[in-house]
Amino acid sequence: MTALLETRGVWQRFGGLVANSDVSISVGRGEIVGLIGPNGAGKSTLFNLIAGVYTPSQGAIIFDGEDITRLPAAERCQRGIGRTFQVVKSFETMTVIDNVIVGALIRNTVMRVARQKAREVLEFCGLGARADVPASDLIPSEKRRLEVARALATEPKLLLLDECLTGLTPIEAQKGVELVRKVRDTGVTVLMVEHVMEIVMPLVDRAIVLDLGKVLVEGKPTEVVRDPKVITAYLGDRHAVGA
Amino acid sequence: MDKNFAARRRRDLIIAAVLAALAALAPLFIKDVYVQNILILTLMYAALSQSWNILSGYCGQISLGHALYFGIGAYTTELLFTKFGVLPWFGMLAGGVIAAVIAMGLGYPFFRLRGHYFVIATIVIAEIGLLLFQNWEWAGAAMGITIPVRGDSWLKFQFLRSKLPYFYFALALCSLAWFVTWWLEDSKWGFWWRAVKDNPEAAESLGVVVFNSKMGAAAVSAFLVAIGGAFYAQFLAYIDPESVMGFQFSLLMALPAVLGGIGTLWGPVLGAAILIPMTELTRSYIGGSGRGVDLIVYGALIVAISLALPRGLVSLFSRSKAKGATR
Repeated sequence: MTALLETRGVWQRFGGLVANSDVSISVGRGEIVGLIGPNGAGKSTLFNLIAGVYTPSQGAIIFDGEDITRLPAAERCQRGIGRTFQVVKSFETMTVIDNVIVGALIRNTVMRVARQKAREVLEFCGLGARADVPASDLIPSEKRRLEVARALATEPKLLLLDECLTGLTPIEAQKGVELVRKVRDTGVTVLMVEHVMEIVMPLVDRAIVLDLGKVLVEGKPTEVVRDPKVITAYLGDRHAVGA
Repeated sequence: MDKNFAARRRRDLIIAAVLAALAALAPLFIKDVYVQNILILTLMYAALSQSWNILSGYCGQISLGHALYFGIGAYTTELLFTKFGVLPWFGMLAGGVIAAVIAMGLGYPFFRLRGHYFVIATIVIAEIGLLLFQNWEWAGAAMGITIPVRGDSWLKFQFLRSKLPYFYFALALCSLAWFVTWWLEDSKWGFWWRAVKDNPEAAESLGVVVFNSKMGAAAVSAFLVAIGGAFYAQFLAYIDPESVMGFQFSLLMALPAVLGGIGTLWGPVLGAAILIPMTELTRSYIGGSGRGVDLIVYGALIVAISLALPRGLVSLFSRSKAKGATR
């Protein structure tokens, strides 16, 4: 079976800075894949290349068997890529359900159907009770959920989560983990960028570690965390020697 | 919950119908021509502001150049009528279509601009339009066009003896602009526009084609404003560039919506109902006392309302509406 998402030799340069060099990764259908790495490793750049915010300087991005390298973000959403933002971007003057309806409208243009769909997604994400309040009234962890709900309303095949568990309390983060599992159980593939290792590792099926713009290691989370190269990247040489 | 939503939509529609019916009866009691005149202008500006609100309120692209579309509606109608004998009704539609096409043509480069830069561009373009018409000999240049008097007729949309037909047309136009807004508000376009206003990047990630949304809003907005311009030209029976394309029209379209509640369904109507009579009354009662006093009073009132009610006058009416669904 072919991978749902594949990047083939992707390069991204910003002026003289090389943010991604020759990155080739693949995400299989139904997987939860963690994209990790220290600050400045190029995780967010790769994420934005997949979501369609940037076009890579070189290389190709294949989604569901089709080359989407040059497609705009809206078109990628149409094809089945949903995303959240690291810094939440709620539609602040709209109610919570109206936020989600915007996402639902891409699949159902009949308002009644879109509204119904939005309500179901909110229930699924545990925001049912907050549907009719303005998005600006939500607390930060609820806003993260709203990001997920909005993206799910577009009925994605692949959900891209950008540090959606970072900065939450342990209890909130645990609930977030449960939500991600639930999402996967509905058949959605998940690619998540995180740098809080202890949250991500039990959750993901596979981890891809980026460092200095390149893929450093990839494999099962338990193997990845013990890999000397990963420890070096995160903590420096001294600690790697002990491992 | 969804029932509440449907009920609220229905309630808005019923209130609008009742208000329109009451307004239609007003001339039975108001015989004074001066007051009738104020009513006509109020309805016209309510319609214009409602149309402006589609692009600037819902979609968030603040335009201070809508006088251009107003003028285009007026000029298209009168040029077609005086030069080619085309009935104003057809001229009106032609003006609307031309304005919509121009709005999209201008949107193509300018919708790439954000925030204040977009606002500045709209002002500049409208001023250029004004200068072009002031120098366009065939269109009467600065002298303008006098609409030939052919007697009272609905066919030619010209009435000398009574202002009432104009009143009813203005009421119909205002109702139309309100209804279009009401209808669009709960449609894909309405949701797309609000998403674009709040956060274009997030909107794009949810499949909203931001550029097309802005173009759609601009076209609808310009079309309706041009219809208003055509009406105003027939109402005045004389047009020149300054009297249908001056900057003050851009302001008088924006202010009622801003004051009443920008991006809301009722804001423009409410704002116009207060602002336009206030404008006319301050002008006629203290305007003669020395140039500018009326404008000072007028400006002070606007500042006072904006400070007291930053969300606009609509926030007075329903707490849930002001806090909750911003509409």
